[in-house]
Amino acid sequence: MAAPMALRRELFSLGRVLSRVSHLGPRALGACSPHLKCYKIRSLLPLAPSTSFHTTTVLPSTPSPITVTEEPDALFQRVSVLVKGHDRAVLDSYEIFATMAANELGITKNKVYEPPKDMERLTLLKSIHIFKNHRVQYEMRTHYRCIELSHTTGCTAQVYLEYIQRNLPEGVAMEVTKTAMEKVPDHIKEPMWEEQPIDDKPSQ
Amino acid sequence: MASHASKAFLSLGRIHVSGVGLQKSLSRATYATGVSTHTGGGNKGRPDRGGQRQGFLKKNRRTSGEPRTDKMKVDQDWTSVYPTATPFRPSTVPLPVRMGYPTKGGVPPGKKGNLELIKIPNFLHLTPVAIRKHCEALKSFCTAWPSALGTDAQCDEHFPVKVESTDYMSAAPSLRNPSARVVHLRVKLSSLNLDDHARKKMLNLVRDRYCKDTDILTITAERCPLRKQNHEYAMYLLTVLYHESWKTEAWEAEKTVADMEEYSWEESPSQKNILSMLVRMKVAGEGEDEEVREQLLGRKEVQEYKNSVTRLRNEGESESTILQYKEAVKKVLNL
Repeated sequence: MAAPMALRRELFSLGRVLSRVSHLGPRALGACSPHLKCYKIRSLLPLAPSTSFHTTTVLPSTPSPITVTEEPDALFQRVSVLVKGHDRAVLDSYEIFATMAANELGITKNKVYEPPKDMERLTLLKSIHIFKNHRVQYEMRTHYRCIELSHTTGCTAQVYLEYIQRNLPEGVAMEVTKTAMEKVPDHIKEPMWEEQPIDDKPSQ
Repeated sequence: MASHASKAFLSLGRIHVSGVGLQKSLSRATYATGVSTHTGGGNKGRPDRGGQRQGFLKKNRRTSGEPRTDKMKVDQDWTSVYPTATPFRPSTVPLPVRMGYPTKGGVPPGKKGNLELIKIPNFLHLTPVAIRKHCEALKSFCTAWPSALGTDAQCDEHFPVKVESTDYMSAAPSLRNPSARVVHLRVKLSSLNLDDHARKKMLNLVRDRYCKDTDILTITAERCPLRKQNHEYAMYLLTVLYHESWKTEAWEAEKTVADMEEYSWEESPSQKNILSMLVRMKVAGEGEDEEVREQLLGRKEVQEYKNSVTRLRNEGESESTILQYKEAVKKVLNL
């Protein structure tokens, strides 16, 4: 069972046209020879976004370069995404988005559930001076939503998490708990005392 | 790699915003030429010192044209109307949304000028069509899970060491969270190459970090400032524990009965008691001490008694263990 190869990506694919334009700029500048005038390429940058704003995103014919590296891909047995927010409706919508994204990317969901909410209550004095019998009470409600994914590779988890995190709404916090799987390292396979007889003094 | 991507995105965001500004000013220019502002001329004749600002606002106010929603087709591409997270614009969203507390005998306020709709985060840029488009583009960067690791059992067999860490993301002045450096390393002792003595010594070394029910040793490292360092420290601890448990020190020979992890019936007071009692009952008949001992130990009832006592001591008191002990005692003493 060979370890899967890692995929390195250089760009995030959202807003592909803009990314291609901005990437083209420095690359073209670097690639152009000294005698060519580089201002022609630079002028593309401010124009292109305004023409592509509010028009259909045209996917370029050449996809972003995907490089394959030799380092083995990480394996995550469980990736648990816990989102916290003050508004339950926002978390509902976010859950729909996250589960749909997981389905589309082919990631297996272990379970999607709602941990019970936390309420932090404060009872404070209403007046700045005296009037101890008159208080005001505040409470802060924190709603949770947990999406557990199982059996994802490092690349897939990175792509999914980056996509999820970039679209995290305002006022929502997230905790991602990743459980990576590793092999038993080689130096723990055999005890080292068999090769060397115990000649060092026992520690007391 | 990720930072490069994020920097590219930030620069995109800046270009995007400047593009938006440019577009908006252009669009405003086109609107202004289309609509005539007739009310401006009327106000110039009355200089109102008290409401000078209001007069200024009234003079320069242009009546807005028809909203964009009227010109929208039903089968338009919504992903280009709301490509990224943008605040709610009532003239851009063609939905008859109402939000807010209803007025007395009325309905919740409409979408025009409704602050509640602007305050709440909207997911208009993440419609199912948009999600599908995004995922189509992202699929090429994903890798497949190896088919040989379908079940958890297979994963445990090939990759027994589990490293757990948490990332935090929240809106705050700082991106950092000090709890993100904590690393938990979990491994099943059955997957390590340990013999009997090594296992017992390992359990003595780790104490509370080992869970007997699940046979999992948990090493938590949080003393280093970086997660990578904590991970390496946890692996180092595991290595040291493993090698130390295989070592046999000179003082380990002084292990007493009280240090033993499991109860063993041989050379225990229980064995001495039962043998002396059976001898006194003259069960085996006369003979040498050693022969009598061997004979008694070989007996089935004594073996059963031994099993029941060992089980009782090791597993604790429960219905089945006490019942077994009772049966064994009755058989041994011929009751």
